[in-house]
Amino acid sequence: MLYFIVQNISLNKNKHCLTFIYLILTLKFNLINMKTKLFKNLLLCCAIFLFAYTQAQTVSGNVSDADGPLIGTNVVVKGTNNGVTTDFDGNYTINNVASDAILTISYLGYLTQDINVEGRSTIDIIMVEDTSELQEVVVTGYITQTRGDITGSVSSVNMDEAVKVPVINVAEALQGRVTGVSVVINSQPGAAPKITIRGFGTSNNTNPLYIIDGVQTLDANILNSINPSDIEQMNVLKDAAAAIYGARASNGVIIITTKSGGYNMDKAKISVDFYTGTSKATNLPGLLNAQQHGDMIFQSLLNDGAVVTHPQYGSGATPVIPSQLIGVREDASVLPNGTYWPDAITRNAPTSNLSISMQNGTETGKYYMSVNYLTREGILNYTGFKRATTMLNSEFKVLDNKLQIGEHLNVSYSNTRAGNGGAFENSIRSSPLIPVYDDNGNFAGTYSNSAGLGNARNPASQLFRSRNNFNKSLRVFGDVYLKANITDDLTFKTTLAGSVQSFDTRAFNALDPEHGEPISTNTLTETDLLNYEWTWSNTLNYKKSFGEHALNVLVGIEAVEESGRGKGISRNGYLFETPNFYLLSNGSATPNIAYAYQYTNTLWSVFGTANYNYNRKYFATATLRRDQSSRFKGDNQSDIFPSFSVGWLLSKEDFYPDDALINRIKLKASYGELGNQTLPGENLTENVSALNEGLANYSFNGTSISTGAILASVGNPDLVWETSISTNFGIDLTAFDNKLNLGLEFFKIETKNLITPDNSLISTTAIDAAAPLVNLGDVENKGFELSLGFHDKTSSGWSYGIDLNLSSYKNEVTALISDYQIGYTGFRGGAVTRTEVGRPISSFYGRVVEGFDANGRFLYKDINGDSITNDEDRTYIGSPHPDFTYGINLTAAYKSFDTSIFFTGSQGNDIYNYEKIYTDFPTFFNGNRSTRVLNSWTPSNTNAALPALSQTITNNETSPNTYFVEDGSYLRLKNLQIGYTFSDDISNKIGMDSFRIYLQGTNLFTMTDYEGIDPEIISNDNLTLGVDNQIYPISQIYTFGVNLKF
Amino acid sequence: MKTKIGYFLLMLVGVLACSEDFTETPAVGALSDQALQNAVGVDLLLTGAYSVLDGASNNGSGWTTSGDNWWFDAMSDDAHKGSTDGDQADLYLLEILDWTSGNPYLLGKWKALYAGENRANAVISLIGTIEEGDFSVQLAEARFLRGHYNFELQKIFGNVAYISDENYANVEFNQPNPGPIWDQIEADFEFAMSNLPSSQGTDVGRPNSWTAQAFLGKVHLFQSDWGQALSLLTGVINSGTYALLPEFVDNFRLAGDNSIESVFAIQFTADGGQSFNGNQGGTLNFGGPNGWCCGFYQPTQDLANAFQTSSGLPLLDTYNQTDVANDYGVTSSEAFSAHTGPLDPRIDYTLGRRTIQYNGWGEMIGKDWIRAGFADISGPYLPKKNVYYVGEDANMGTGGWGQQHSGINYHIMRYSDVLLMAAEAAVETGDMNTALDYVNQVRSRAKNMSYVQNLAETGDAANYQIELYSSFGSQDNARKAVRFERRIELGMEGHRLFDIRRWNNGTTTMNDYIDNESRTNPNIATKFIYDYEAKHNMCPIPLTAIDLSGGVLQQNPGY
Repeated sequence: MLYFIVQNISLNKNKHCLTFIYLILTLKFNLINMKTKLFKNLLLCCAIFLFAYTQAQTVSGNVSDADGPLIGTNVVVKGTNNGVTTDFDGNYTINNVASDAILTISYLGYLTQDINVEGRSTIDIIMVEDTSELQEVVVTGYITQTRGDITGSVSSVNMDEAVKVPVINVAEALQGRVTGVSVVINSQPGAAPKITIRGFGTSNNTNPLYIIDGVQTLDANILNSINPSDIEQMNVLKDAAAAIYGARASNGVIIITTKSGGYNMDKAKISVDFYTGTSKATNLPGLLNAQQHGDMIFQSLLNDGAVVTHPQYGSGATPVIPSQLIGVREDASVLPNGTYWPDAITRNAPTSNLSISMQNGTETGKYYMSVNYLTREGILNYTGFKRATTMLNSEFKVLDNKLQIGEHLNVSYSNTRAGNGGAFENSIRSSPLIPVYDDNGNFAGTYSNSAGLGNARNPASQLFRSRNNFNKSLRVFGDVYLKANITDDLTFKTTLAGSVQSFDTRAFNALDPEHGEPISTNTLTETDLLNYEWTWSNTLNYKKSFGEHALNVLVGIEAVEESGRGKGISRNGYLFETPNFYLLSNGSATPNIAYAYQYTNTLWSVFGTANYNYNRKYFATATLRRDQSSRFKGDNQSDIFPSFSVGWLLSKEDFYPDDALINRIKLKASYGELGNQTLPGENLTENVSALNEGLANYSFNGTSISTGAILASVGNPDLVWETSISTNFGIDLTAFDNKLNLGLEFFKIETKNLITPDNSLISTTAIDAAAPLVNLGDVENKGFELSLGFHDKTSSGWSYGIDLNLSSYKNEVTALISDYQIGYTGFRGGAVTRTEVGRPISSFYGRVVEGFDANGRFLYKDINGDSITNDEDRTYIGSPHPDFTYGINLTAAYKSFDTSIFFTGSQGNDIYNYEKIYTDFPTFFNGNRSTRVLNSWTPSNTNAALPALSQTITNNETSPNTYFVEDGSYLRLKNLQIGYTFSDDISNKIGMDSFRIYLQGTNLFTMTDYEGIDPEIISNDNLTLGVDNQIYPISQIYTFGVNLKF
Repeated sequence: MKTKIGYFLLMLVGVLACSEDFTETPAVGALSDQALQNAVGVDLLLTGAYSVLDGASNNGSGWTTSGDNWWFDAMSDDAHKGSTDGDQADLYLLEILDWTSGNPYLLGKWKALYAGENRANAVISLIGTIEEGDFSVQLAEARFLRGHYNFELQKIFGNVAYISDENYANVEFNQPNPGPIWDQIEADFEFAMSNLPSSQGTDVGRPNSWTAQAFLGKVHLFQSDWGQALSLLTGVINSGTYALLPEFVDNFRLAGDNSIESVFAIQFTADGGQSFNGNQGGTLNFGGPNGWCCGFYQPTQDLANAFQTSSGLPLLDTYNQTDVANDYGVTSSEAFSAHTGPLDPRIDYTLGRRTIQYNGWGEMIGKDWIRAGFADISGPYLPKKNVYYVGEDANMGTGGWGQQHSGINYHIMRYSDVLLMAAEAAVETGDMNTALDYVNQVRSRAKNMSYVQNLAETGDAANYQIELYSSFGSQDNARKAVRFERRIELGMEGHRLFDIRRWNNGTTTMNDYIDNESRTNPNIATKFIYDYEAKHNMCPIPLTAIDLSGGVLQQNPGY
């Protein structure tokens, strides 16, 4: 480093050495404690080259932007290290300026200006915001940096593009738009998407840490409480850059900054965004019609050698579709082709959204406020999501601008009507013979188990009967902060942030007399939950530029506390099934307290970070954080997380040609240690026993009941938190006059001490307690991320852009406390996934189907060569990890028209289509099946997809095997939007600054070979990835919208 | 300026100082190991160890874990699983002898029993950490329970892992299953026998020393240690602690809960809430009147036939040569003539058949009360022993969705079982007279009890004929008679499969049963695609158990 400084000085020796000496002396005075060898050497250098002298003067003035004075602007005499920063009022005074010198004025986020002094002593400067991406100010934790200066891996979402999709939860906007971030969208309205950053490490908490202004939380649902259009900026810290958040950062950090007003605005800016439209279910499954269903039943009986007879289809040579259900107590007419149940429970559902925001600011105060109302009816009948939010952000300058006091406040209320979770699956396996309603207009059903109509509850009735259920959530979160400018360079900030959330849910389980297994009492269940979180952060920030050197140092302390309390109560026996009667006091049976809990956890931290750059050419950052967590015991409570990163703007070197095609090249590298202290529960270090009405009480005399307790969870006092070691190398290129941007990053994340419940420790031969969390082993994720953008305008008025991003990781388990671990064991036929050293986490494990035997049963490969087919013949049969995931965004505009097309996809991952257990096999014999069973084995169709039809599952055919493993690759047209902006003439005439209308469609098509409903799979947990067992149809949404600005 | 920095530093110091406390948070509502180290703690955990007798545990509850072993009867010749074939297809596969390691019933039962074993271990281990006080009775109860859970595992799976209280304390649950664990089971019952009081007073649900002795006798019986079994069981009989109730049916009614005949029972209790202490595992086993769900646990024709008598004695070798009149294939609106031949009166307290009074709910009307269809495997009968009697509302519990959670106790062992086990041991030791005496005590009660009345209550519901044996003749004949008596006395009480297995005649019995049953229900022949083989003497070790053990557990031969 010293070499470069010396070289730089030597180039300028002729003119400004005196100034330089002055600066050095000033610096020595100011930074008396930073006396180093460096400065001594600099002094020496300067003395040697002291042989010229030019007339010097003092220059002063004021620096401002459109909104008012700019504090902390750098004013430097070009080519020297003589520089100052502006004070609270934007004023500066700089001495020893040669009359023919050039002043360079720079400020983060603004275009740097060179001004000829030309002998003037007063120069006022108005700064212009730099809208180029490199100059964008990015919030990277407790500090801000310009994008071009960042040395870590920080991705940002283009919010303008992202909110074009009608998202409910802003996390959806990350999908396909940010490299390294995998977003799986849950199609149920109001359900949070699943976000994973850079592969799969932990199988415990995988949520990134969310920072919303001052609020810090791991609760992914918090994004349901924010209006996406209130968001100014969303940045994702993926590598060591996240280390400033230490023990919570190993899943990455998503930093959301909400909008604020500007100081000195001349008038309030109002924007109104509105859309309305409709959504409908798409990609509904192909099911058997009544005739096919009857044929399937008969063929199954025939194959089994059973008596071919059926309560509905008769005993003839071929099945006869009855005109009325036979042997049931109600008159119920059968539709000629039978009922296609998915149609009976889905609908075209209206959706609309209105957002109004207003911002303004005076010299000493500014605000942003917004209101939003969103309603998204669900594509399943009687489901939906409604949300109202309001946000108020404001900031005030007091005490001669020395103090800034501000707050962010977001209040949101939502109600999710989730319907009945089993309804869609029941629609797939309901007999096609059953009509939705009987001839009297009541719901039809299976009536009796011997009627041969299966056992699925009428899904239309399930949705209807759950229509009065609600899940209300009220959430208030935000922060208040005080920023004190202690000196020009030193700022103290204290932020107190909090979040209070209350849940209030009601679920009524109504009688279903039409069902073959009718429930005999109705039940009201109410749950109330209250969660509190607060964070108090205090930071001291020292920011100083001296000449070409820029230093930004921050130290801080922080305390976080999360606590909550909740209960669920249910009661049976309601006389009336009307919502007016739904009070716990109106039930007739003894109420049951299903659960009650209370928890608190805390985190206490000290941290510091230092960013240094020389001439914005060489960059270095070092960060250190110490965290102490209540979730662990003794010495394991605290740990220290260091990180370092460096960057080199190669293209700024003198040897780099100015006219090169690639006009900017930046190299960066980082190393950091990050933690994951979040655990699914409290007090996991000790054994916890609990009273349990349902599972521990007993009657010793046959009448009165004694209270008992059981070990509820096994503790692990040795538990330590997970640590990830993250290394990252990146290159950023800009070419063709900034038209082309390319970013390429290579990363390796080694996660050690993976926290997972050890189900092999508390296995099937153990106590019936929850397994302890243990440090299971180590996992490595290696990969690369590519982002490529090209944006241009032609002289003919076209502007267009292509943005492509691609992310890839390879996952490998490098250590494990046991030979292998198996995933979720609750599936029919046992665990589907297995994790073993040397393989990616959670691979599919089962038998290999090689074909059919002479009877049309699956033939399994003899893996161990012992000529016996049994459980020993299982092997690895697929991987849920994709080769890569990608997103493509195309934009174009011509005159008043604009359009954007957005694709997202995944390539090379397998999906275990567990749902086929119900749709392809006789798990529920009389229920409906997929049309895939039409290609079942028969003596004349031996090249079939499925084995011979049968009444029962034999030969282990639904135990994990390759039949269920499918290629999960897909390409989805996520969004297409066409907009038209009215000319200024028109919009001004009606009193607007801008007036745009648009049409857009979401999820327009999906190209995939996957046979399930949706290749986007939400996984149970990270030891059970890629298993499709919770289906919900995809919504296609069409909307018309307007954007108005006043 | 300096003061500001000073304030900041002061604040920093302040926060630093309180940080140690700040990161210590309490576990609200949780009992630590330490909090349990006293008499209250021992009682709490001990109650928890009893509570899982019904199978309901943190690992799951419901029919797969059921403590009353009802579905093991469906794997024997006593019962069909009931309902339609596709309903609970996993149990259908067990019934048709298609036993696979992935069957969730086997896993559910396995996990429930290990939960029980380790809840008992929790008590044993806790007592070992308390220095003050005498906990010998609690320790004996805990070891009795552990013995019971292990005995059940042993009966079902043959080769099982034994988890000791040391294993429990050291969290070493992954133990191998090299063979039977009879020694460990005996040790627990022996300890219980020497340390339990001879009476538990009003806490009739707790075992006393005689209970432990009877169980130890049964353990020896299962190992064919006839002499030891006989001496232990005779000791129980001669103690006078137990007696047969005058009314056989009272064992299954409110009146007989915790009667003098009950040696050890799961104390099922219904209550006004969700009846967590009711029989959740048997919730499917209600059919017939009142729209009850779900028509499971239907007795077989083979069992009905076993109640036929000639001169008041059972047809030991020929009971399947004639069939009790069967209404399979007959709808309720079609005429049906009831069986007129002589029958043991216990038949109509054991199975519900057409035209006969059904536990006070009126006439059993045949098909309309049967959930299964005519193409199904399940036949025309309903269970009775586990079903409420009319008016006994105190036994009627409802679960969360209103399903039945019966309060009828399930007898893991009742006195007539003790008598018949002793009789069996006596036969094998050549003491025919003792055997005859014990069998006749059981038959005498059946003979002298009140019989089920016809619908008009003017006389017996059927042609009941029952007499005592005058002698057994040969040992072989005695063996047959005792074994046959077990079936008709204890039918539909969850014992049959384990009896067939220990008599080592599963193959003959089950394969004959399939042939005989097909006579009245031709579907059965096509549906039982497998024979009972030697491997069926042990159930397969659940695959999930093997996988979670990392291969420490070994599969039983033949699977």
